[in-house]
Amino acid sequence: MILRLLNTTVFRLSLVYALLFSGVVAVAMGSIYWSAAAQIVQQADTRLRLETKSLEDLLRTGSFSSLRETIKLRNEDAQRAGRRFYVYALSNSPKQAFDEYIHPQRPLANGRQAFATVSFANLLRAIDQADYGNQQSEHDMARVLVTTLPDGWQLLAAADMSEQQALLDKLYRHILLAILLIFALATFGGVLMGYGVLRRIDSVRQTADTIMDGDLSQRMTVTNRNDEFDRLSVVLNRMLQRIEQLMQAMHEVTDNLAHDLRHPLNRLRNRLEASQFEPFDSDNFQQLQQDALQDVDDLIKTFNALLSIAQAESGMQRNEWSTVALDTLVADLGELYEVVAEEAGIHFNYTAQPGLTVYGNRQLLAQALTNLLDNAMKYTPSGGEIQLQAQQQAQHIALSVSDSGPGIPAEARQRVFERFVRLDNARSTPGNGLGLSLVKAVADLHAAPVRLADNQPGLRVVLVFNAAI
Amino acid sequence: MVYARSMNILLVEDDKATASFIQKGLTESGYIVDHAADGEDGLHLALTGQYDALIVDRMLPGRDGLSIIQALRAQDRDTPVLILSALGAVDNRVEGLRAGGDDYLVKPYAFSELLARLQALMRRAQPAQEQTLLRLRDLEMDLMKRQVRRADTNINLQPREFTLLEYLLRHTGQVVTRTMLLEKVWDYHFDPQTNVIDVHISRLRSKIDRDFDVPLLHTIRGAGYILHDPEAA
Repeated sequence: MILRLLNTTVFRLSLVYALLFSGVVAVAMGSIYWSAAAQIVQQADTRLRLETKSLEDLLRTGSFSSLRETIKLRNEDAQRAGRRFYVYALSNSPKQAFDEYIHPQRPLANGRQAFATVSFANLLRAIDQADYGNQQSEHDMARVLVTTLPDGWQLLAAADMSEQQALLDKLYRHILLAILLIFALATFGGVLMGYGVLRRIDSVRQTADTIMDGDLSQRMTVTNRNDEFDRLSVVLNRMLQRIEQLMQAMHEVTDNLAHDLRHPLNRLRNRLEASQFEPFDSDNFQQLQQDALQDVDDLIKTFNALLSIAQAESGMQRNEWSTVALDTLVADLGELYEVVAEEAGIHFNYTAQPGLTVYGNRQLLAQALTNLLDNAMKYTPSGGEIQLQAQQQAQHIALSVSDSGPGIPAEARQRVFERFVRLDNARSTPGNGLGLSLVKAVADLHAAPVRLADNQPGLRVVLVFNAAI
Repeated sequence: MVYARSMNILLVEDDKATASFIQKGLTESGYIVDHAADGEDGLHLALTGQYDALIVDRMLPGRDGLSIIQALRAQDRDTPVLILSALGAVDNRVEGLRAGGDDYLVKPYAFSELLARLQALMRRAQPAQEQTLLRLRDLEMDLMKRQVRRADTNINLQPREFTLLEYLLRHTGQVVTRTMLLEKVWDYHFDPQTNVIDVHISRLRSKIDRDFDVPLLHTIRGAGYILHDPEAA
């Protein structure tokens, strides 16, 4: 679990984020630290400069020995107060002790001043008073101002910086702690988020596993948070729904195929067996052979019809799609069936508003319409009426076949689209019960709902295309 | 139809039973048939031999049918090719024709359908001079004036009837099937579920044959129709 957690994108992203955020905080706090430190040094420098100035003034008005006396007094004052604030010292030029310990690289010219930060130990060595204060630790720092006086003397003023140093150290530690804390919190948050994401993904993965094991009815859990996971799950569920439908359709086809082909195959087998007992040149044998061929042809027809439906349903054959002119389609089919209607004594007329087009597969549309026209011709009695029409109605284009036959009772209208369904009054006529299934499949492929309506009397089948294409 | 020599057909088909069935049927119909059982042999024979037509199965071991046709066309051979295939979707048919096939027959098929289509193909392969007048016995079709006359009587045909008769006249003496007519005259590539074609043929027959002594348009049972002069030698 931990390893997988560390491997999530969310965790890696939050780690990067934590690093970035801690970095920003470090820079901000660092700059506060540096400006505080600079401020402290500047204050000390000002004090040192003022002190040095007053001692120089003293030297200008008084004698050298009075200066030495004042320095001694001030040092004693400072020590008595327990403060290690100011240390003063004088040195003469031949020794250059100050330079050695405090400004080793740059000997000072006459009348010049220089600041430095040195350790207390070095300071004491410079003023040659190793016993000055044993209470100082090695790490304590001092700020020092060295001034060159006339005649080669040097004046040293020093301020104890240990308290300020302690303050800065404390600040430094706090900053470090804060940064570490922020980093830890951000990382922990990342782990929490990663864990949450991992749990959602695990749920999806488990569902997917169950589905792969064969339970197609499983669906991804959708919470009411409506977040990106929920939206993804909804899409996945829609995809699963579609897959399940396709699988179911496939099952149905296979089942139906097995069932519906068994009868004619059995008949065919019987005929061939029967022919074994007939002499080759007998009329009976010839007849059996003819019938067997007819059986095979019927089988092939059923088979082809099922394949056409399957192809239309699978949505393949998109290559052959184009803009289909409905007036041409209606005229072609009308003319094809006109003579059939005439032979049967049926009034048939076909009309199409000029200029109507739909985007689709011309062959499949024609096949669907011929199925409807075949049905209409089959069930309409002599003297009846059939109409083939294409017309625009607001946003839709209606392609319809109407007849004056017996129609389909309202309660059976949904059922007739299923494969191999034949209503009772159709059983005596030839047909395989696949005609309307193909019409439905073709209509679905073109996103055109099929409506069955009462033509009073008769049946009216309408394919409703979207005119907006 | 009298040919100076027998027509040579190359059959490329890997299924032995199918191949021997087609070979037998074609031989009995008067053709000389060579058979190749795989794609490489088929292409070799097609390139080296002299054939009037090829029958090529689409799925073959070695080299598939479409690639044979492509290789053949790449060498400027325009021998007519009939493709046999178990793949019957519209897209598959278009692929076959685009590869250079001349006609596409989906399995399972009736032998009469195969024969009719093969004959139609070879007729098409004959040097086609632009005819403006088609004639059979006393039936005349003037393609320029779009007129049909029989024994000097004008016959009034609907446009589609005219196209139908033109197709039949161009294939005089050959059996044409219902599926072929639906494809070539109406451009629909699916099985006619009912007898629409029969009705159109009988309508045409009543116009060109009914008032005359010698019938020209005949039904071949279980196969289709044939337009021919029964009294011609």
